[in-house]
Amino acid sequence: MSSYLFKRFTTMIITIVGVSVLVFMIIHLIPGNPVSHILGDYATEESIKELEMRLGLDRPILVQYFSYMFHAIQGDLGTSFITGYTVVEEILNRIPITAQLALYSIIFGSIIGILIGVIAAVKKNTILDQLAMLLALVGISAPGFWIALFLILLFSYQLSIFPISGYSGFYSLILPSITLGLGTAGSIARMTRSSMLDVIKQDYIRTAKAKGAGLFRLVFMHSLQNAIIPVVTLIGMQFGYLMAGAVVTETVFALPGLGSLIVSAISTRDIPTVQGLLLFMAAMIIIVNFVVDLLYTKLDPRIQYE
Amino acid sequence: MKRKPYVVFIMSLILALIVSACDNAGNSDSSSKKGNDREIVVGLVSEPDSVDIHRTSSTGEANIPLYDTLLKLDNDGNIVPNLITDYELIGDGKEVIFNLKEDAVFHSGKPVNAEAIKLSFERLISSSPFSTNAGEVESIEVLSEYSFKIKWKDQFAPFFINATTPFLAPLDVSVLDAKGEGFEKNPSGSGPLKLVKINRGDSLVYEPYKDFWDGQEPGFDSVKFRFIPDEETRILEFKKGNVDVLLDVPYQYIEDLEKDSEVTIKRVQSDTLSYLGWNNKLPIFQDVKVRQAIALAIDRDSIIDNTLKGEAQAVFGPLPKTVFGYSEKIETMAREKYTRNTEAAKKLLSEAGWSETNKDGVVMKDGEEFSVDLWVDDDPANQRAAQVIQNQLMEIGLKITISVKESATIIEQTPKGAHEMLLWSFGWPDADVLNFLLFGKDKSKRLHYENEKIYSLLEKGAIEMDQEARLMLYEKAQEMLVEESPFVPLYVKENVTAIRNFDSFEIHPINNSIEWTSVKVSE
Repeated sequence: MSSYLFKRFTTMIITIVGVSVLVFMIIHLIPGNPVSHILGDYATEESIKELEMRLGLDRPILVQYFSYMFHAIQGDLGTSFITGYTVVEEILNRIPITAQLALYSIIFGSIIGILIGVIAAVKKNTILDQLAMLLALVGISAPGFWIALFLILLFSYQLSIFPISGYSGFYSLILPSITLGLGTAGSIARMTRSSMLDVIKQDYIRTAKAKGAGLFRLVFMHSLQNAIIPVVTLIGMQFGYLMAGAVVTETVFALPGLGSLIVSAISTRDIPTVQGLLLFMAAMIIIVNFVVDLLYTKLDPRIQYE
Repeated sequence: MKRKPYVVFIMSLILALIVSACDNAGNSDSSSKKGNDREIVVGLVSEPDSVDIHRTSSTGEANIPLYDTLLKLDNDGNIVPNLITDYELIGDGKEVIFNLKEDAVFHSGKPVNAEAIKLSFERLISSSPFSTNAGEVESIEVLSEYSFKIKWKDQFAPFFINATTPFLAPLDVSVLDAKGEGFEKNPSGSGPLKLVKINRGDSLVYEPYKDFWDGQEPGFDSVKFRFIPDEETRILEFKKGNVDVLLDVPYQYIEDLEKDSEVTIKRVQSDTLSYLGWNNKLPIFQDVKVRQAIALAIDRDSIIDNTLKGEAQAVFGPLPKTVFGYSEKIETMAREKYTRNTEAAKKLLSEAGWSETNKDGVVMKDGEEFSVDLWVDDDPANQRAAQVIQNQLMEIGLKITISVKESATIIEQTPKGAHEMLLWSFGWPDADVLNFLLFGKDKSKRLHYENEKIYSLLEKGAIEMDQEARLMLYEKAQEMLVEESPFVPLYVKENVTAIRNFDSFEIHPINNSIEWTSVKVSE
């Protein structure tokens, strides 16, 4: 296990370094620079050069990269060119909202997705199965902003059950979590159905049925525990999707999370913030997937990492 | 006892839920509900990147009220004293003595005196990207506690207009850290509103500044600026009553909001002029007849009706009405010259050698068709306007391909001359903007136009301290610009604000900012 962990850590570090190079290159390649944005219409050649020098943007790109990484390793992701806040401050300020949003969405998506997937598998080729898969398809294909507006109009504007926008604790995250979780639920439902169908064909299920196991026991005790492994993998992979989805959801619900921060940082070419955020998000996705891999050994004792 | 795997999974989820639900510390409460009856909630699109006026690239309603300016514009656009009582030009105008009001106090409690103004200007000049607004200052001298003198290297006439903008407003340097930074977390200006809470990404909360020099009793207890980027969400928050002031109402919702008897719609003409420009250095735009033909092909009313629901004023001259230097004579002249006339436009094109047309109706010269890219930003209204312009220019045989670019790309690429045509805008309250943004050696920005005579007039305008003489210089320059047609002025949009439950609520007709000292919520 320790050698596996060592290998995984090494891979994780290489991946993060790779991501940092990629992010650095992309952000410097796209047209539009922060100096032009900051100075806007009132810039002169002199003021552009002076500000570039002050921000360190006049140095060779490799020097900029190594200087950035040197500080990043020490936990210093730089200071925003635009806002004057440190990137770490900005992330710490906003991560609670995005983390909660991602988590509630995963929970919502997992519960609904697994439930629908199980029902579809158990009631295979019935109207219930077709209905469940239709729902899953809607969840996957409906655009996030459309679902968000629909939910706001119904539950916030007409029925006044939830706030329309803004953050005021758990209550205000219910609609955004549903918006974001529906896509996840759709994917999980399809995966659960397919995985369950493979499992319930197996001999030990037939044996359990022959021994008189009830439907609940048969489905949740015998089938689901073996069918859940690919579903857990999918949940880990959905984390990246949720981070991307948070951008739209946070914008529509006016939530001050990482998604809305990255939108404004990109539009203002705020290089330190974009770099820091992307690096942070990439690290989060890598860590979550690592945790998911470790979770396999708990879910299925037959899986051992050597 | 052997644990069931799915139990582990469910337990993990529940644990995570509990942990996250407990983690509300440090987060703002930006719920839709209002704190009290006298709290004003203002809904606006985006958050200013900083409240530090020497750093921010975005001034707007959410950070302007923190500051008070040395001079201000009255409702007719005249420059009048504000934080100062008067000023005196010395000699040829390179030196000006300013006398300050003695009752103005920063939010920190420190007086707005000559020393504070000097320190604020020194920070602006040494480290702000917007220092050019102050001109080339040689020295700032404190003459007495409430009197100071600014000496410029050369006369700088736009200073007086620039001093009406928040860019030159004094900030309290004493609150800064050792590096001269930290204002964005601990701001202290001298404006009518005092910042009490910053909820990054969500809202800024102000209270009326009780020691504001005008001594009026505030008509409200607090103001919360909420940043709601999504158009639909912002409208729903207003309709639901969670937002009292809705800035920049999207034009398609105005009619609906006007039906609500409790809602008042305020319209103020913007000082930002939208224009159709092009890279004048390109051979295709060298002939003045081509440029005039483009101007003659544009039907502004059609663009305004089709894209802005009529909520804009057509502008024909180089400057809109709200800008110092505007001339009614020039506007009338330009209107007469460039009211849409496609036949005259075709004739001019023909005279310029664009006489043949290909099978698609595109005019040709020396076997080359007239085909250019039009850059437009991602604002849907601007994109619609670009489509109308595309159709109008096609009517005289000019082929336009619309190319949507991010604003940041346009801002960076156009000074390099990477574009052919662009739909863009500029806004500044002084005619010097023409020199700065559009023309002039070494600082030609978007249009890459060069004309020694016009440049010389604009340079003279920048150093002419006599306001009447200045106006004459700008009028002459504009007259030449109308003839030369290096860009096509299009319109100024109406800034539309929806309000509810106010006894008094005014927006300044020139600078478009809310007059917080006169705002009073309904009891």
